[in-house]
Amino acid sequence: MAGLNLVNIRKEYDKGVVSVQDFNLEIRDKEFLVLVGPSGCGKSTTLRMIAGLEDITDGDLYIGEKRVNDVSPKDRDIAMVFQNYALYPHMNVYDNMAFSLKLRKMKKDEIKKRVDNAARILNLEEYLYRKPKALSGGQRQRVALGRAIVRDAEVFLMDEPLSNLDAKLRVQMRAEIQKLHQRLQTTTVYVTHDQTEAMTMATRLVVMKAGFIQQVGTPKEVYDLPDNMFVASFIGSPAMNFFFGKLEGNYFVMGDQKILVPQGKVENLRKQGFEGKEIVLGVRPEDIHDEPVFLDVSPETKFRAKIEVAELMGAEIILYSQVASQDFVARVDSRFNVETGQSLDLAFDMSKAHFFDKATELRIK
Amino acid sequence: MIEQLRKLFPSLLIYTTEDGALDASYKWFISGNNDIIGIHQTELTEKDQAMLNAFLSPYNINFPPMTDEERRWKKAIDQAEEHPPFTFPSAIPYRFIYFSINKNQITPVFFHEAIQELFEKPVPILWENEFEGIIIEEESTSEDTPSYEQMIDILMSDLYVKITFFIGPFRKGFESIQPYYRSVISDAKKAFAYSDKTVITYIDAVPYLLIDQTDLAFRQQLVKNVLQEFIDDEDTLKMLETFVHSNLNISETAKELHLHRNSLQYRLDRFFEKTGIDVRQFHQAMPVYLAMLAKK
Repeated sequence: MAGLNLVNIRKEYDKGVVSVQDFNLEIRDKEFLVLVGPSGCGKSTTLRMIAGLEDITDGDLYIGEKRVNDVSPKDRDIAMVFQNYALYPHMNVYDNMAFSLKLRKMKKDEIKKRVDNAARILNLEEYLYRKPKALSGGQRQRVALGRAIVRDAEVFLMDEPLSNLDAKLRVQMRAEIQKLHQRLQTTTVYVTHDQTEAMTMATRLVVMKAGFIQQVGTPKEVYDLPDNMFVASFIGSPAMNFFFGKLEGNYFVMGDQKILVPQGKVENLRKQGFEGKEIVLGVRPEDIHDEPVFLDVSPETKFRAKIEVAELMGAEIILYSQVASQDFVARVDSRFNVETGQSLDLAFDMSKAHFFDKATELRIK
Repeated sequence: MIEQLRKLFPSLLIYTTEDGALDASYKWFISGNNDIIGIHQTELTEKDQAMLNAFLSPYNINFPPMTDEERRWKKAIDQAEEHPPFTFPSAIPYRFIYFSINKNQITPVFFHEAIQELFEKPVPILWENEFEGIIIEEESTSEDTPSYEQMIDILMSDLYVKITFFIGPFRKGFESIQPYYRSVISDAKKAFAYSDKTVITYIDAVPYLLIDQTDLAFRQQLVKNVLQEFIDDEDTLKMLETFVHSNLNISETAKELHLHRNSLQYRLDRFFEKTGIDVRQFHQAMPVYLAMLAKK
């Protein structure tokens, strides 16, 4: 097994379009690292540079101790799985997994050993002699994974491998890929635009935007302590709410609404010179409460809101409303019935709130 | 001619597909009849080789040996102007698919073998050089054949090769087959200069080909007149490009750009206020798209 090291990686296309820049990252041996971000953020380009399918304009890429910038993809000891789990349609499952090994003139008994092993790991043994047409979507995706496993590679690279599956199957395959990683312990770099996939699968995740790394951390670190407004809004669903206002005394003021800020946060904002300046308050939907007990103990973070839409999701209700003419979304427990058009008291849990510099969009630490 | 050559070079042999791979101890040539002939290297002096190269085409053994069908197609393309109309092989519509593969990622022999596995029946492949060529695909009703996008993913993940495809229009009959062959190759090269998509169809490429035919002064004028003060505003241009590629659909564009729908509406309104062009209307979006292509 091997780790990877990306040092000052930069990708510029022919017409001066820069897709990735200042990319520095050490991917640890056996890690499951997820690159996440909106389309066009450079995550797939980064993966393809690791694979050797895109040239690296500047910087150094190491797999283990070896610099591999100029090593051809087939010699990098990597295996890839892509979004399209399409297989060779006229070959059976066994031949689909064996084809690349056959082209490499590997001995038949070694090929058989590897394919049988992959089939056992992926529970595909009884399907080995079926054609892809006779398989379900999930089984086909497992064959695509099998093609990667038979290579016995140092690193797995996966580019949105689940995005062509339906929602139910995606959840199931997510768990299967995690189990596979636990079993094989192969260093894996996984690209997705789906923040739920990123949060649930990653050992660490890398949030990217417009070619730059925005934040690297464990899912919990990134969720609880986002470095900037982009990360705060991208990770978490529904997204974090942002309220624009000013710190006046001990209160965050937006229009005629005043919200008491915990003393520690007030002091920190004052110390950094934000008193009286426009700042952004970030509150996650689950940190807006309607439970009577919470409202009782938080009289100074309480406000009244008219619910524009209430979506019952089962265990929770998603509320869409406004405070001080600013939109927000709250996620509350469905034990307390809330309906569209109703007015009710809500309160922020300010101990979990964040403040951001309006100009730089960075979290005020 | 071959018999005369054999008198001079007794080792001469004619390749047939049953022979398998080409023997590297031979020098290989294509005769005027598109036969692949080989002469053992020990029989050839430098002068002999120079002479044979002058009236036969040298054949690169890195390419897979040509099938009978490939030879017939090659002959049709090479000689079409002398012997039109060409009657082989059938009345089924066909199209030429240009492909380009990255250098040093896969040999033509492996590529040929892998491509054959993706189609229902063998497809002829004519190589321009070791990195590009033409696949000849007959129209088929088979639902098993993957799309060209899927083929790219299959070959990329299985064989670690980066490929691009340009899909020529379907044709029936063999009239002007040589110009068709040449135009697919040149259209492909023009189209890939404008787009970073990996699969481009002829229809996708029409705007690129039109812009490419215009002169520099026209293009500069078009860019200036249409994009106006947004000429260097990369964010706005990216937004407009995404909007066009999303079929002028605001929700889809907003999702793609990770923007709020209202922010996108505001930016489109701002572009309208400053330029007088309402890109929400197809006939106004079209010149904006052409101007962005001209800028490339």
